[in-house]
Amino acid sequence: MIRRTSLVAKWEAHVREPFPLLVRLSMNRIFHGTNGGEEEGLTISMGLLLALLAIPGGFVSIFLFDKYGSFLQWLRGQTNFDPLAAALPDEYFFIVLSMVVTGGIAVWWWDSIFPDRRDFTNLAHLPIPASRIFLANSVAILILTYVCAIDVNAASSILFPVIVGASQPKFSFMAQFAGVHALVVVLASIFSFFAVFATAGLLMLLLPYPLFRRISFYVRTLIATVLLATLSTSFAIPRMIRDLPRTSHSPLRFLPSAWFLGLCQLLRGRADRALAELGHVAMVALLSACAVAAAAYTLAYRRCFVRLSELADTPPGNLGTRTSWIFHLLDRLIFRTPFQRAGYRFVLKTLFRNEAHALALGGFLSLGVVFASQTLLSALNGKGISPLPTANELSIPLILGYCLLLGVRFVFDFPAYLQANWIFRFLLDGNIIYESIALARRVMLCFVAPWILLVAVPTYVYFWGWTIGFLHIGVLTLWLWLLTEVLLVDFHKLPFACAYPSFQPSAVVAMIAFVLGYFAFTAMTADLEAKALVSPGVGGVFLVISLGVWYTVYGIRRSVVGIDNHLMFEDAPARHFEFLHLSDDG
Amino acid sequence: MLQAIALTKYYASIPAVQNLTFDLKAGQILGCLGPNGSGKSTTVKMITGLLEPSRGRVLFRGEDIRRDLVGFRKNLGYVPEEPNLYPYLSGREYLEMVGILRGIPQSRLGKKVDSLLALLSLHPSRHSAIASYSKGMRQRVLLIAALLDDPEVLILDEPLSGLDVSSAMVLKNLIRALGQQGKAIFYCSHVLEVVERVCSHLLILRQGTVLASGPTGDIQKRIGHASLEGTFHHLVEDVDPDKVTREILDIIRAA
Repeated sequence: MIRRTSLVAKWEAHVREPFPLLVRLSMNRIFHGTNGGEEEGLTISMGLLLALLAIPGGFVSIFLFDKYGSFLQWLRGQTNFDPLAAALPDEYFFIVLSMVVTGGIAVWWWDSIFPDRRDFTNLAHLPIPASRIFLANSVAILILTYVCAIDVNAASSILFPVIVGASQPKFSFMAQFAGVHALVVVLASIFSFFAVFATAGLLMLLLPYPLFRRISFYVRTLIATVLLATLSTSFAIPRMIRDLPRTSHSPLRFLPSAWFLGLCQLLRGRADRALAELGHVAMVALLSACAVAAAAYTLAYRRCFVRLSELADTPPGNLGTRTSWIFHLLDRLIFRTPFQRAGYRFVLKTLFRNEAHALALGGFLSLGVVFASQTLLSALNGKGISPLPTANELSIPLILGYCLLLGVRFVFDFPAYLQANWIFRFLLDGNIIYESIALARRVMLCFVAPWILLVAVPTYVYFWGWTIGFLHIGVLTLWLWLLTEVLLVDFHKLPFACAYPSFQPSAVVAMIAFVLGYFAFTAMTADLEAKALVSPGVGGVFLVISLGVWYTVYGIRRSVVGIDNHLMFEDAPARHFEFLHLSDDG
Repeated sequence: MLQAIALTKYYASIPAVQNLTFDLKAGQILGCLGPNGSGKSTTVKMITGLLEPSRGRVLFRGEDIRRDLVGFRKNLGYVPEEPNLYPYLSGREYLEMVGILRGIPQSRLGKKVDSLLALLSLHPSRHSAIASYSKGMRQRVLLIAALLDDPEVLILDEPLSGLDVSSAMVLKNLIRALGQQGKAIFYCSHVLEVVERVCSHLLILRQGTVLASGPTGDIQKRIGHASLEGTFHHLVEDVDPDKVTREILDIIRAA
């Protein structure tokens, strides 16, 4: 006990030394972002973030029980089951997952990786050498990279080998499998993080600072899209890997996830010549990414942090005055009341001028584009256009609409510059909840309407004629409108002006709901619609579901808004427990 | 104690400060005045070593501060214009951090921080996150951080911003007392009344150049105005306040 106490005391004394203090400060900045959780008001605890990052690996591993269970194999009549060969596509998926999640974190932390203006104001005038701040920040980056890499892959590194090796007689098989899997996915994560980091550092180094700030958003969105597109390769690539030795100019040789699969097979001793080559490329790429990131970081630090007070703080985007005709048009067509007209200007400008918000929406849109292109590829898949559209062909605008609407609704909950929301508290009488819902609804529908009118209508009419085209657009419009109503069922806010994001206490549940909702909204609807085109009687189901959803939403809204029809500016998290005070003396 | 010699700073070939020279002696309180864009903030950043001058030097006890920035900053207390603190730290945590980074021994630090927090009425909220602090509270945290290590030179950029009446009175008295104790104080502000009452010397800037410098009384006598406001207006002649007021009223009243 005494020994433990003295160790704790030593540790406490150590963390209060200047250098560990600076490291902790840098970690806080990277984690909280450059706004320090103040202006944006969005704070996610480290525990919650780590849990969210660990979930995908755990979930996917559990789903694999079905594939590797020896009893189920016996039932299926699989007698010569080679677990290592069978694990190849899953191994590839875990590599991709680790790269995508860790790369995504690096994209999210893009701005906070380097010391910012706040650090400069608080630290630069203190008697600490700039090199020490630099070193502390470097240590913080390394710690957070390794923590994320380990967290993202922790669940899969335990569960996946257990599932694959459970039916094997020797424990050494499982241990070896686990070791190689853990090493490869962690290395893939580190590569992904440092590749993004190196990109940021190089851009910062090569471009003038204001230009770097201006294009950051586009680069981040592009990287996010590439990462999501990589995720979608997990279904096709394992098949192509088997053909790799026969194709000398395969595009796989340029795919980082394939390099790490090559490394995995190389470490397992199951790599052919082509895969072994990819494995070596993985190691070279990993070392190069780390070296480039370190060099770019060092030079960019010298160039930017030391001169931070001279560099202009350029906003990332600017709607400018050239778009004012759009506002005039929308004023005439859609937004009729003064509240709505002021509100949508505020919403659009906040959304496009605020990097975090634009990036989150861009992420949802990228997700939609990746899913939609994958569905389109599997819909075409060497076949021509059939006389009646298939479920896959019908689902494409539903996928895009779902991701876009959910993205807009999600970012509405992100607070922005809360110190400035006093103007709404001051000017609005609060009793305009229906106006606020109408504003949110119209803004959300404005995001999907142009796509429907300009892309979906001409495409479906061109390929399947006027009747099918308009029937599908009718279903699409109805479904998107219902989705908007569902998403706004308990909306009591002015977008971006409330201190507390409603999804925050139930982020995990919200994520699961998003996935399940995706399948219900896109796959099930498209299936039903395809059936309705063959036998029109099925179309009645749409009517029943629509009426049911509309009636439920209407009922909930009447009861919720009936009780409290004031706009919320400081929503509070739900309590985890409450005292019921059942007796008089409490 | 602190000398600026021909300080000049260009931002992309645009001059922000040109040939600025002054000598801040121990016990002096030098008030720096000027309209927006006159180069006050750039001057402050150069004399704190945060910004490298395009030309000229800043000397501390006769030595160029760039030769030993860390050594110079050990003797420097600085209150920046914006109270840009880490919002996820509490007031006490922030001050402890500054104290540790300044190398103040732990044994003295806690007591010192607590006493100063109590005297500046921050003790009840010392464990609350800075995010919840008002502007005045943040300003007081910055003041404590600047004074924590008993610096020889104090550079204060709008230190009264957001402070309540009693805190402002305490600070004004404190600045005078520190001056009497031999500290060299550079005081940047827009509030002419405070500068008039607190500062022994003046430095008036306009468009990056010095319009007037010297003892406060001497400058007023030279210009022939009894008040600093009159002197400042005479020197800067930025706008005609009466005319602008009339025009604003006309616009407000217009249908």
